[in-house]
Amino acid sequence: MPAGGYSGGTGGRPPGGYFGRALIADVTDGTSAILPLPEEILRAYIGGAGLGTWLLHRIGPPGADPLGAGAPLAFVFSPLVGTPLTTSAKFAVVAKSPLTGMLTDALASSQFAIAGKLTGHDAIVICGRSERLSVLLVDGEGTRLIDAAGLAGLSAAEADKRLREELGRGWRVAAIGPAGERGVRYATISHDGRHAGRGGLGAVMGAKNLKAIAVRAAGKVAPADPDAVLAAARDLRARSFGPATAKYRELGTLANLLAFNAISTLPTRNFQAATFDGAQHLAAEAAADDPGSPTDESVAGMRRVARSSCASCTIGCEHIYRVGRGSKVRVEYENVFALGPMCGVSDPAAVLAASARCDDLGIDTISAGGTIAWAMECAQRGLIDAPWLRFGDSAALLRALDEIGDRGTPLSTPLGDLLADGSRRAARTVGGGSQAFAPHVKGLEMPGYEPRTLHAMALGLAVNARGADHNRSGAYEADLSGDLDRLDGGDAHVAAAIETEDRAAVMDSLILCKFLRGVFTDPFAEWAALLSGVTGWDVTGAELRQTARRIVMAKRVYNIREGWQPADDWLPDRLLTEPLTLPSGRVAALTPQRLRAMIDAYYKARGLDPLGRPLPSIGSDLHLTGASDGASNGASDEG
Amino acid sequence: MGTPKAALEWHGSTLLRRTVGIVARATDGPVVVVRASGQVLPDLPAGTQVVDDPRDGKGPVQGIAAGLAALAGRAETAFISSTDMPFLHPAFIRRVLRVLTDDAAVDVALPVARGYPQPLAAAYRVRLAETAERLVKEDRLRPAFLFGECAVARLDDDALRQDPVLGALDPDLDSVLNVNTLADYQDARGRPGPEVTVQLFGALARGGDARGTGPRAVRAATVAAAASAVGLAFDRHVTAALNGDQITRDPPTPLATGDLVYFMSADAGG
Repeated sequence: MPAGGYSGGTGGRPPGGYFGRALIADVTDGTSAILPLPEEILRAYIGGAGLGTWLLHRIGPPGADPLGAGAPLAFVFSPLVGTPLTTSAKFAVVAKSPLTGMLTDALASSQFAIAGKLTGHDAIVICGRSERLSVLLVDGEGTRLIDAAGLAGLSAAEADKRLREELGRGWRVAAIGPAGERGVRYATISHDGRHAGRGGLGAVMGAKNLKAIAVRAAGKVAPADPDAVLAAARDLRARSFGPATAKYRELGTLANLLAFNAISTLPTRNFQAATFDGAQHLAAEAAADDPGSPTDESVAGMRRVARSSCASCTIGCEHIYRVGRGSKVRVEYENVFALGPMCGVSDPAAVLAASARCDDLGIDTISAGGTIAWAMECAQRGLIDAPWLRFGDSAALLRALDEIGDRGTPLSTPLGDLLADGSRRAARTVGGGSQAFAPHVKGLEMPGYEPRTLHAMALGLAVNARGADHNRSGAYEADLSGDLDRLDGGDAHVAAAIETEDRAAVMDSLILCKFLRGVFTDPFAEWAALLSGVTGWDVTGAELRQTARRIVMAKRVYNIREGWQPADDWLPDRLLTEPLTLPSGRVAALTPQRLRAMIDAYYKARGLDPLGRPLPSIGSDLHLTGASDGASNGASDEG
Repeated sequence: MGTPKAALEWHGSTLLRRTVGIVARATDGPVVVVRASGQVLPDLPAGTQVVDDPRDGKGPVQGIAAGLAALAGRAETAFISSTDMPFLHPAFIRRVLRVLTDDAAVDVALPVARGYPQPLAAAYRVRLAETAERLVKEDRLRPAFLFGECAVARLDDDALRQDPVLGALDPDLDSVLNVNTLADYQDARGRPGPEVTVQLFGALARGGDARGTGPRAVRAATVAAAASAVGLAFDRHVTAALNGDQITRDPPTPLATGDLVYFMSADAGG
């Protein structure tokens, strides 16, 4: 791995697209330091989720409480941020999850990525805990804390608005809502209406008494070969207008809902079914396109009233819906699935209102919906004394969200406090067999992909480092490709799960939006060319494949360090013991034996031992020497 | 007929490709094609196993023996079909196979349809491979010899039609019609494709030709033809689900009467 003349710190020039350093900000006292990022580390982990994983190894004390002062919270940029490459204005937020106790890395897109990187850092890592609710400012003048008492209890969007008004032009803000302040374990971090949503990163930030981080660009960074990058950007832009992204442009991800219902892949009523009678009411296809006046109430059901894009994106997947005079809500498949079919709710007004409530509180819709659906089933079975909490009851859904958001306030209720910890912890408390149907892996609630009818995805969900996640394991791609039988998981499914996990690892580290993936016909080679143009490295597709494997492995090694056990790579019992029958008559059964066989094959193919731990030969490739000691992070004081 | 039956054109595909596709759709297990040694076959779906018949000219029992032997250890039962039945319906295959599933004492489920026994549209226990092989060595080459050595359940027209799905979708039991002459082939080929129902999802429903989201009845013998019938380009960005179950992006995938064909974006990212 050639490293050129740059070795981090002040010696030599960093590769194109990089500053070669991370800012370590301690919000306990407002000081900060610089951690040089050697070229070999940048090349080994690229940026985003990959570099964030390395940083957590490097800086995070082993065994730290994710909501404790010692746990780092990393905002990690990438070499592509700031280039004209479409969808590249993204960043990763990486931390130990308070929901899973393992690594979580949530990606988001906004101007925050560009401004944050142009503060002169490839990553901003926040440590410590502020004495009072604060905002961390980072720009060319260094770091400083300002009081945020006036922002307490505000939604992230409102806090963002007020801060930008107060700070003036050029500032970009990532903030938490009230749920993050109150320790809801699936709170989000938001910016420009986008969310780093999964795993409870907002709770980590809230535990640091940090309402927001505001960044302002102060420098520039150039790609190594600007002409090559510009040409690639033009090409990619043109391709991004093609059929590969039509779904996202025209209807957004909500287009999944009706299709998934048709193929029995739509988790319904806490995974008690895979089709939902009310799906049509929530379907993107059924929504009217902006029928004249935005306040036109003559149109029944959902209306699509606007569409927009993330920063630097030419796809424009963001579709805004409205019902009657209700709130305008950015709608995705996942929030509609989780707050609709998963809870048995088919009223679009209620689902949009619940989505808006989640955004206001600053909580992950998937974990919120999954946890509430579990509670609805518990109430149905008499395990929770909340007879009002019924599947399909819109008012109950909204009330449950309110109670979750009221944690730590005078309005707090025992039920809300229970559900604010997520389904895994709640099921441990409630018992009574409820753990068998708690819809999570490693503590992270399940996304809207039914594992019993998507066997490659079942494996991907089980072994993924982040837990039940559809963005780090996109194995559903293989299940829906027709290249294998989605109901007959075996070796082909294992290979597919590994391939999609590897692709995600690279896309999440470059970073490029996964909605762009369909435009690539030879993805690793094409991504290598993009990275080469930006950095000046001579990267090959084969090298990127190795990088992908390294990142996946480094996440696993981090989790093992933090207490992962083989039993964590598993799915909820319900999914393994309750078969589904498809309309065609075929039975979709994902048995423990089948899942075990796929996991064993995955371990073997990944170079893991039979218990899922890396073989000794893998260690030297991870560049983790000296990491994880928790005593000295090698950073030099800056201010 | 001037062209091997296996390679005869069938609505943009071939008779063999269609037969293999229909059998694959109706069963969960592997599909084996037994060919004469060295015989050139048309394109087959990925995953199809091709085995050579070790002895040419020995008739159907030899083919049965070779096919069953190839499945040993991988399946307990098999549906055996000739390659020249263009109207073979998945519901027919399922109906016949179900006899062996329901009654462990039965070795062969033999349709006696449209007036004739149909040994090449029948279900067999895989364990019969050895018996069939012995019969060939003894030069007892008629299927009747095999049936004389095992438990056979015969299904007449009424028994077949009692299956509600088969009775509705193939009431005349055209499944067993084969094409032995050029005229047979031309007659069969002249029929319109099976009537299927197509439904589009997501952005596909908003494409050209005002496609819409509602189901539409079309005549199409393959998935590609069904897509074409609704003005849809069946390219790598589109996937099809048959009857809400099997997923395919293979254009020649055969369709049968009554199929529901869902077209959706190949990218299921959410």
